[in-house]
This record gives sequence, structure tokens and C-alpha cells, in this order.
Amino acid sequence: MTAFAPSDAPRRTRSFWWRVLMQPAGAIACAIIVLLLAAAGLADLLAPHDPTRMAAGRPLTPPSLAYPMGTDELGRDVLSRIMYGARLTLRIGAIAVGISLVLGLTVGLLAAYLRGWLEALLMRSVDVLFSFTETLIALAFVAVLGPSLTNAMIAVGVAGIPFYARTAYASALSERSKPWFEGAVAAGAGPGRLLFLHLLPNVMPTMIVVATLGLSNAILAAAALSFLGLGAQPPQPEWGFMLSAGRDFFSRAPWLMLFPGLAIALTVLAFNLAGDALREAMDPRSLLREDAR
Amino acid sequence: MMARYLIRRLLMGVTTIFVTTIAVTLLIHLVPGDPVQIMYAQSQGTTPEQLEAIRDRLGLNDPLPLQYLSFLGRLLEGDLGQTIRGQQPVLELLLERLPNTLALAGAAMVLAVAIGLPIGFLAAYRRGSWVDSTLMIAAIAGVSVPHFWLGLVLMFVFAVNLGWLPVAGTGPANLILPAITLGLSNAAIVARMTRSSMIDVMSQDFVRTAHAKGLPKAMILNAHVMRAGLVPIVTMMGLQFTYMMGGAIVVENIFAWNGIGRLAIDAIFQRDYPLIQGFILVFATTVVIVSLLIDLAYALLDPRIRRSA
Repeated sequence: MTAFAPSDAPRRTRSFWWRVLMQPAGAIACAIIVLLLAAAGLADLLAPHDPTRMAAGRPLTPPSLAYPMGTDELGRDVLSRIMYGARLTLRIGAIAVGISLVLGLTVGLLAAYLRGWLEALLMRSVDVLFSFTETLIALAFVAVLGPSLTNAMIAVGVAGIPFYARTAYASALSERSKPWFEGAVAAGAGPGRLLFLHLLPNVMPTMIVVATLGLSNAILAAAALSFLGLGAQPPQPEWGFMLSAGRDFFSRAPWLMLFPGLAIALTVLAFNLAGDALREAMDPRSLLREDAR
Repeated sequence: MMARYLIRRLLMGVTTIFVTTIAVTLLIHLVPGDPVQIMYAQSQGTTPEQLEAIRDRLGLNDPLPLQYLSFLGRLLEGDLGQTIRGQQPVLELLLERLPNTLALAGAAMVLAVAIGLPIGFLAAYRRGSWVDSTLMIAAIAGVSVPHFWLGLVLMFVFAVNLGWLPVAGTGPANLILPAITLGLSNAAIVARMTRSSMIDVMSQDFVRTAHAKGLPKAMILNAHVMRAGLVPIVTMMGLQFTYMMGGAIVVENIFAWNGIGRLAIDAIFQRDYPLIQGFILVFATTVVIVSLLIDLAYALLDPRIRRSA
């Protein structure tokens, strides 16, 4: 249907994914993400213990064969908690980025498509929200809704909307100024068709890169909220919360400091590298520069 | 041009603060359930009559527009109400703590630039070499390490184990670890920004011309690349500072540094809505003012903007 609208989107052929995986960044990212998905998906089968069962072992047992990452202050198995934590972390990232992406895209595309005073109203509102900073928006949401993991996901998702809206807007604006868009208008395409069949597919490549990099941002922000006690609540095996719960025991049990922190860092690293690799594999010039965030 | 640019920025800032005052008034009404009951849930034995009196005192029974106007009126007198716990004046409390947060964010920013700028410049200069790859791998790893984890590790190593620095508190020596924590995380961002900006400049025509007319390399870098490449970096400083302010909220809580971030998190836990409202307003205003000052400095530094005035 979009035959006369040559898309900048790379075709999903093997050569595209080949280009992603052939970069060191892409390969490393892929390895970590596969590991993460395996830990999250197979936690029920592979986790040696129930992640919330207290006294699965003696409290603060150092890493050993029975407890590869040791036990925490309540005798829970850290490895099992990390594995179930992977599940939580991926869900947090997906929901938060989902909120930012869907609402940001809607605002950005509408503003670029409508033009006129609605465009001005939408984008000036986005500018104001943007200058509030993501941290403040997220904190305000948690302050209103009360601390919980679900509220933290919503808060982080909403806080991301201005950035996604700006990027989608800029990208849609440059797409609609191209000759093929005028062609579609001249051919009599209606608003729905122009928005969903023409603008959206052409904006998506940029937004996929933004969302991939956004996953690391969202996971970091949600983990920070949980670390502060404003996100995950006991006994949820959330990594940020595990770090703050274990901090009084670090001198006796440094593994409580090591593993959850490493898990967050590797996950965030993986999505950062994946975003970079995707951007390189797509046309590197048409996409966002790396200082965009 | 410059005047128009600055007026636009100023209007934007004023709008932001104006919207913040509306948002802050609405905030308490968006709380699911009865905010007054939630606020006093932690203090025992508050009777329904007392709650009603508090509701009256906070003006929550008035119509919304009236609430907003009286909020604005009190704001102009510098009165943001009193905290639920301890009955302290909110604005005074926040302004007393604000310099600590600014000191932390400022020190971290100086560190981030001092570390990130040379690294990014070196990577751009040695583009494509092993130096570049190594530095950029370090930078992406640095971006990925959560600052709260970095803070905990630094505290564990340098304060708890080695005992070189104090663990927590507020004083000159106490600033070192939180500033390093916040500075290092952002140094990685500055390094990435610097590299891409410098590479952009190095591939431009005027640099090629300079090479072609045989200028010494050091002179090209100093006189041409550096000056042009720094402009977009300085532009990003305003945004950088807002990251610092946001990051400071978390870092203050790790090191018990007495800034407004620590106050805010306590307020959220205690559901102290007057204090939360005050925090949001003070934080947003600070970010707006500082970004405006940085923009002003940048407009004065960039000859393309300054001379067109």
C-alpha cells in the first residue's frame, strides 16, 4: 500500500540483522539480552529456590555451590532473586517504555500532522514538561499515587513522554516535507491513511532506536526509585530494592552489593549497546546523534 | 536576534514556573482517597473533627480557583505553608537546604567536565584507533553503571573499608564522595557528547581548508576545532545541569547529604504534601533559573549570536 512512499526503514532482511550482529556492540548486547531472557523466562525451572522463601539457607551465607550468589540477610537465595528480578526488570522496562512510546508517538505525530495552533499548543506543552525534568515528573507521580512498583513504572513511563514526543515530532516533520508525502496528499489519501500508513512507518526506525536506548534509561530510573524505597516493596526481588535492603550488611556480605548492582549495570549496558548497534546498522546519518539524551 | 532569543527563553521559563504552580495546586487533589487522612495516617489519634479543621486550614474545602488564587497570593508573600510534621515553614526549610544541593550538583558538574571533556577530545582526535575504542567502551560502561550502585561501592571502599573519608553527613569532606559519584556518571555522557561534536567539526570544510593551507596541526586543533566544537557542548550544559539536579536527589539519600532531595524523599514517605508541593516548585524554579543563566552565558560566548545583537 505504501509502494509510492519509499521508506527509509531498512527492510527486515537477514542482511540488516547481520549488520547489527557483526558489530562487537551488537554481538555483546545480543548475548546479554539472550541471557536475560533465559533467566527471566526459565526462572521457574532453573531457579534453585523460591525467591521469597526466607531461611532457604542460613542468613548471609557466602557464595557456594548450593547458593552460587550467597544468601541475603533473611536467608533468601540471591541467585533465585536475581533470576526472578530479571523478569520484573524486563516487565518494568517494557511497560514504562510502552507508555512513553505510545503517548509520545501520538503527541509527536499529531503535532507534526495537524500544524497550526494545535501543533503549537502540543509542542509548547511538551517543552514545558521537558523542562520539568524526568526526575521531577516521576517523583511527583509517585508522590501522588504512593510508593509501589506499578506506580513507579507508570511514573517513569509518563516522565519519558516529552522526550519521545519531541523525537517523533522532529522525525515526522522531516518526513512530511519529503516529496512522497505531498504525492500521497495529492493522490487523495485521508488523514488516517497519511498518519498510519505513511508517517508512522517512516518514523518507526528512529523510534525503535530511541525506545531501545530508552529501555536502559527506564530500567535505571525505576531501579533508582526502588532503591529509594519508592518502587518495589518487600518481598519483591527487584534489583534496586535488593541493593538498598542489603546495604547495612555490605561489610559482612559484599556479595549483596556485587550481584544486584552487576545485574542492573549489565542489563542497562546491553540495551545501550543494542541501541547503538541498531543505529549504526540503520542509516547512521538520518538518525539521532548520540548526544540526543 | 540575541534579544529575541533571550526573551523567548525567558517567556518559556516563566511559563514553566506558572504551569508548575497550577500543577502543584492540583497535585493534592489527584491523590487517590482523602489526602488529609493519608497525611495524618501516621500520627495516632487524630479525630475526624481535627481532620476537618486541618482540611479547613489547608483551604481544601474552598472551590479550586479560589484555592489556586490564595496559593498564588501566599506564594508572593514567600509563604508556602507549613510542614505536616514539625510545623516548620516549608519555603524556609527548602531554601536552607538548597545551597547544599547546588554545591553537590556544581561540584559534580565541574568534575564531569574536567574528566569528560579531555577524554572525548582525545577519542575524537584518535578516532578509529584502539585509544578511541577503549575510551568509548569505558564511556558506555560508565553510562550504564547506576549512580546509586557506584555511590554504594565508593562508600564501601573509601569510607567503610579504608576509612579515608566520612561515611555520611554534611560538611566539606562529606562532599567528596557524593560529588565523585555524580560526576563520574555524567563524565561518561560529557565524553560521548564531546567526541561526537568534535568529530562533526573535524570533518567540516573549514578544517580541511586549514589543513590544505598547511597550518600546523596543533594550531588547527586549538584555533579551529576546539572553538567551534565547544559551542554545541556548552549548549548542552543546561541540560547536563538538570541531570545533575535529578541525580543529586538519589545521591543525597545514599550519603545522607542534607540537600532538598533528601528532604523530598522523606516528605514523600511521610506524605507531607505541603513539603512535596514546595519541593516541586523550588526544584523547577531552580532548574529554570540555572538553565536560563547558562543559556545567557552561551549567548554571550558565541560570536554568531552575540554580534547579531
